[in-house]
Amino acid sequence: MSVKTNENWEPKILAFCCNWCTYTGADLAGLNRMKYPENVRVIRVPCSSRVNPQFILRAFQKGCDGVLVCGCHPGDCHYATGNYFTRRRFMLMQRLLEYNGIDPKRFQAKWISGSEAAKFRDTVTKVSAEIKALGPNTKFAEPHFTEGGDK
Amino acid sequence: MARIGVFICHCGTNIAATVDVEAVAAAAREFPNVAFATTYKYMCSEPGQAMIKESIEDYNLDRIVIASCSPRMHELTFRKMLKGTKINPYMLEIANIREQCAWVHTDRAKATEKAIDHVKMAVAKVGKDKPLTTSTIPITKRALVIGGGIAGIQAALDIADAGFDVTIVEKEPSIGGHMVMLDKTFPTMDCSACISTPKMVDAGAHPNITLKTSCEVEKVEGYVGNFEVTIKEKAKYVNHDLCTGCGLCQTKCPTKVPSEFNQGIGTRPAIYIPFAQAVPSKPVIDPTCCLKLTKDKCGICEKVCPLQAINYKDETKYTTEKYGAIVVATGYELVDWAKMYPEYGGGKYADVITGLQFERLVNASGPTEGHIVRPSDGKEPKDVVIVKCVGSRDQNKGKSYCSRACCMYSAKHAHQILDKIPGSNVYIFYMDVRTPGKGYEEFYDNTRADGAQYIRGRVSKIFKEGDKLICKGEDTLLGKQVTVEADMVILATAMEPAANIADVAGKLGISIDSDRWVTEAHPKLRPVETQTGGVFLCGTCQGPKDIPDTVAQAGAAAAKVMALLNHDEMETSPMISSVDQTKCSGCGYCVEVCPYKAISLIQVPGRDGNRKVTKTVADVNSGLCQGCGCCAATCRTGCIDLKGYTNEQILKEVDALCQ
Amino acid sequence: MALSEKDIELKIREEAKKALATGEVSCVIGWTTTRFPDKMKPFFAETEAECDELVWNKYCINGTAKYALDDRYPSKKFAIIARGCDSRAINRMLKDKQLLRENLYIIGVVCDGKENPICEECQHKNPLTYDVLIGEPVPEQIDEKRFAEVEAFEKLSPDEKYEYWAKQYDKCIHCYACRNACPACNCVECYADQYRTGWQGKASDRIQNQVYGLTRAFHVGDRCIECGECERVCPMGLPIMRQTRKMLKDINDLFGDYECGMPDDAMPVLGGYTLADPDEFM
Repeated sequence: MSVKTNENWEPKILAFCCNWCTYTGADLAGLNRMKYPENVRVIRVPCSSRVNPQFILRAFQKGCDGVLVCGCHPGDCHYATGNYFTRRRFMLMQRLLEYNGIDPKRFQAKWISGSEAAKFRDTVTKVSAEIKALGPNTKFAEPHFTEGGDK
Repeated sequence: MARIGVFICHCGTNIAATVDVEAVAAAAREFPNVAFATTYKYMCSEPGQAMIKESIEDYNLDRIVIASCSPRMHELTFRKMLKGTKINPYMLEIANIREQCAWVHTDRAKATEKAIDHVKMAVAKVGKDKPLTTSTIPITKRALVIGGGIAGIQAALDIADAGFDVTIVEKEPSIGGHMVMLDKTFPTMDCSACISTPKMVDAGAHPNITLKTSCEVEKVEGYVGNFEVTIKEKAKYVNHDLCTGCGLCQTKCPTKVPSEFNQGIGTRPAIYIPFAQAVPSKPVIDPTCCLKLTKDKCGICEKVCPLQAINYKDETKYTTEKYGAIVVATGYELVDWAKMYPEYGGGKYADVITGLQFERLVNASGPTEGHIVRPSDGKEPKDVVIVKCVGSRDQNKGKSYCSRACCMYSAKHAHQILDKIPGSNVYIFYMDVRTPGKGYEEFYDNTRADGAQYIRGRVSKIFKEGDKLICKGEDTLLGKQVTVEADMVILATAMEPAANIADVAGKLGISIDSDRWVTEAHPKLRPVETQTGGVFLCGTCQGPKDIPDTVAQAGAAAAKVMALLNHDEMETSPMISSVDQTKCSGCGYCVEVCPYKAISLIQVPGRDGNRKVTKTVADVNSGLCQGCGCCAATCRTGCIDLKGYTNEQILKEVDALCQ
Repeated sequence: MALSEKDIELKIREEAKKALATGEVSCVIGWTTTRFPDKMKPFFAETEAECDELVWNKYCINGTAKYALDDRYPSKKFAIIARGCDSRAINRMLKDKQLLRENLYIIGVVCDGKENPICEECQHKNPLTYDVLIGEPVPEQIDEKRFAEVEAFEKLSPDEKYEYWAKQYDKCIHCYACRNACPACNCVECYADQYRTGWQGKASDRIQNQVYGLTRAFHVGDRCIECGECERVCPMGLPIMRQTRKMLKDINDLFGDYECGMPDDAMPVLGGYTLADPDEFM
């Protein structure tokens, strides 16, 4: 269990990245030696439409402080139409989570192409800062993942 | 119990400088089911790979994690390496600790912590990896070309010359498309029919090409290499096996209707060969106007036919054939300007014609034998107005795209009028003049030197006063109103996709854009492929273009087809969706979201308690599935899953990150 | 002239008998009495005599449609006494391909509302799909307040929202009654029962219940017919529809007017897309 309340607290942020655009963009950020916060972990998926909303719930349940879903820009999907489904799914998901008291900043989606390394860096940096400001996810995480989470 | 090996790459100092690789290895040894973990300078090198292979033997590993550069870099390398071991190539996960860790961080402690997390997630995922095997599907070495215009003919000839059987499906009674209607082609002014008809004849005579005219694609099933296409052959009422194409029937037929080939200028009989150079050069009966077929009268053609080739009882026939590849070359139509432009008379003035009608008018084999005369009274026009961008580049009319070929053919028309009618005047209303092509700008310059007057602006109204067509517009360069009294007006009407393109695209599972043009797989890098494997495109079905571009694209599509048909079989990715049919409810939502039409509902025998029942369940066609996984995220039951990225694997990854 | 309650009851029995008499129908799903005068229960009339036990009064509140799923492979038709809400439930299950229209004989009954709070919001008193209709169709009301509760709730602070739901999910006993009653929850095997994949924990604590509640909301949110059965059957009184209504409200706001369970029901929102969908992820 990590210490989450002091100033050194680092959020745990999970990013689902589609293989063809955002994951490539993230690799390009590396190739260009761009710098961004260490607290983002990437899960590679073939397409943003592969991301089941239940994965997001699971991440929060297990103590993630923020979740990001990234894919190709609409119209650029490697699989032609996948991200149109992503768009509908997660616009609704974000609202439903907000309705349940989860700040929409904790769950975000973004289109980042394979060439937008800088956008990947900026997005990750921004999300990281936003979630740091929000503090640990105490609302949705299982008690043993939160410190002093009220049960 | 899984026995996992973890191999952490230094990548020289690329990784090792920022990540404490030994600490990562030490951490990895503590993860569940990890039997062995080590580091090495360059995992992808020969000695590195040899070391991994040895370790697999020495530690009896059954799956491995390699922490190194991006999987986009070396996943394939390591899969190939595993082919020579007892481990299945898909029992491998890559933890990206270079591009997404060492290279983007500077804090060694934090980067190491992140690398450990990446390895932990990969270990969790690899634990649920299952051996996957690529399967091969046979390839039917035949191609189908939909559309027999210049694009389809060129593609078919190229494929047939490479030794493969090709079928051209053409909905009209003859192949040839629009190109054969044209008079001259810009900028070289060579005769369009003279260069296209030899190709038509070649296609008709080629031993590898089967022409299916008066035919349409009815149904497409199957997938790349294995399409089953049902072709609908409309009744021709003439037995082409018997007919020699003597043409006697045409001369005796009493019916006269506007000729499609001549764009309504001139007529044709009910039994007709569309034009002199048609391929096949055999007639068909138009059932909508034939007296015998509509009113059971006449029957002259049957009486005069020396070979008894006329068959009034002919019916629509359906045939199903197998093809390995399909080329879409359905071409274009002109927009119905009469509906869109009531301000230009909406079609009620006979002397307001389209560019294509002008082509027939100026063509030596056309209805006027090449004399430019007014359709209304047969008089030679002196003052001609050409209006460009009719239906294109005008959002108010619903089409914002540029129709591309019009600037050049309008210049050509102006040149032809000025050339053929001494003392004539041509006024061209234009928005911009676009001449990107070899010799195009020079042609435009010459036309202006010929005396064509270019006026920048749209024509707002055309109306008749006496014998004249009054064209009112604005010269936007001078900023004043212009009125031209014209004898004839030629509209450079925009191209739009064939009327039934949505239907064809739906059958093939390919997509069309908001203007209904067929969408290519990638606008830059895969310009003649569609998103559906084995379906290619060429010509104006993809967007307006001129003949050189169309022919080039047809050759490109043919090359892609040949590359595909050259193989006896093809390997399919094993990372595709599969359905647990015992859990499937058969709701069919996966069917709806699949971009490749790879999923269908099928009936399978099943049990309900101790009863035998027939269940409806989803089924994935492994030849069509491309592995996007959209279906897996749509399925509420979770019974459709993506191999290599299963629900269980991703949940394990998420869990591992948070532990 | 509107039919009286008794008239309708007699007509229901008459139609039920007629249906059974055809020999194509195995049973008629309706309601009958219990030992409590203000409680009716679902009833399956299999014989002509049993048809006389069918009743129609303001206490006939259970949804009838979902019982048709008890036998997914029937050898004969089910006849279903269907109010507006039941007919929408049938449409839902037809659209989800869980029922076949030819396996159903639908006896539609125009319903004036029952002793069930949800009936006050009813927009479909007239059955939408039926083989035979009892009663004269009545004018429909538009429920102006369809999303009022959701809108009011949206105004709360994140913490207030969380506290509200936390309290609710602390009560939840994870009994899945809502799922069992819901006509949109019609999977052969629910995700929550698949312990091996590990979608859903078995424990009944706040977090697991939240995960269940939100997952279920997402699973049915774009197909919910707003019949209120989930809330009616919940033993702990959770405001379950408040979650799905939220989904429906957002769907209406983002993708245009949408009501599920109509005869011409389009594809559920999450099973489709348009190029013109709003985009917030640029």
